[in-house]
Amino acid sequence: MIIAALAIVLSACGADGDTGSNLREDLPPITAEEFEAHIETVNRPVVVNVWASWCLPCRSEAPLLNEAFAAYGDRVEFIGIDVQDNQAGAKLFLEEFGLDFDHFFDRGREIPNAYGGIGTPITFFFAPGGQLVNTHNGVVDERTLALNIDELLARG
Amino acid sequence: MEFTLLWAAVTGAAALWVGTKIWDTDAPDDYFDRLLAGALVGLVVGRLAAMLAQGVNPVTNPLEFIVIRGGVSTPAAAAGSVGWLLWSSRHDIAKLDALASAALLGLAGWHAGCLWRGACLGTASDLPWAWSSPTSDVTRHPVELYAALLLVVAAITVGGLGRRVLLKSGAALALAGLARLATEPMRPSLTGGPVGWYVLAIVVGLGVVIWGGHIGRWVEKRAPT
Repeated sequence: MIIAALAIVLSACGADGDTGSNLREDLPPITAEEFEAHIETVNRPVVVNVWASWCLPCRSEAPLLNEAFAAYGDRVEFIGIDVQDNQAGAKLFLEEFGLDFDHFFDRGREIPNAYGGIGTPITFFFAPGGQLVNTHNGVVDERTLALNIDELLARG
Repeated sequence: MEFTLLWAAVTGAAALWVGTKIWDTDAPDDYFDRLLAGALVGLVVGRLAAMLAQGVNPVTNPLEFIVIRGGVSTPAAAAGSVGWLLWSSRHDIAKLDALASAALLGLAGWHAGCLWRGACLGTASDLPWAWSSPTSDVTRHPVELYAALLLVVAAITVGGLGRRVLLKSGAALALAGLARLATEPMRPSLTGGPVGWYVLAIVVGLGVVIWGGHIGRWVEKRAPT
């Protein structure tokens, strides 16, 4: 039993090794003004997740965001905002969780501050055209994420 | 743990306690303790299962365990709770039946705790009792309250069943699965929800209803004295 348990633990540890962060390019920096200008041009709902590589709850919700992107990526735009972080940590995080949507680098937390978000992680839900519909401070669960996306889609 | 989740858990525990007072016939002395321990074991097993499913190693990332909002696997939590209740009742397996209705009422309390969490709403609906969140005009099914109501009905139904060994326990498992299965289509979900597990709970529950006497004798024979 003990050997079997150790084997499971060690095999799970194997996934935490160096995954080649140098394979990714640096995340593009973005200011709050640039971000606002960008989402105003998007003609579909936008889910914006604010994360950081040092943020423990961000690790828990990352697989969920991947699922949401796979399910709704054709109808909803997903954007990641990495805050108060460094590029090396950010790239390792993205490699580990394989978050394949667009991410931007916001070292000074300009964007969450501009929209009134508290702490990290935060998930913002925008209607087409950039109107902020809802803000979820803290780790988001599947129901909350699905409900908010459903809400955005129901608004058309 | 988020405070709203804690309040939902307190609501569940309060409903459990009320259940132990209503259905206390033939109950073991540590009635409430067994059920509360079953809920806690379910929470631990469910959270660990969710972490493993998300590719998070609980040994190398132990602090992530406390991020309950990161997910708790409902099927694993149910299996953990049922497993604990079976193990804690291995010397008096027939006493499990005395726990069944209270367990369902506790579950109903947990679902009704959505009122504190602001998490009652499901898919969009135009029904007269549908309501919307303060920031929206879209009215929705209060799906968690439906589940709570179904579980209260299930608790009362099970409480009225006969005394055949494990009849109430099996019926409780089947009805809990049925309550979740019936409400699942009204829960917004990324994956469609663990529908297969709910069906399994119904099938296993019905199996226990049918073969409860044999199962009870088998467990008690193997329990250490």
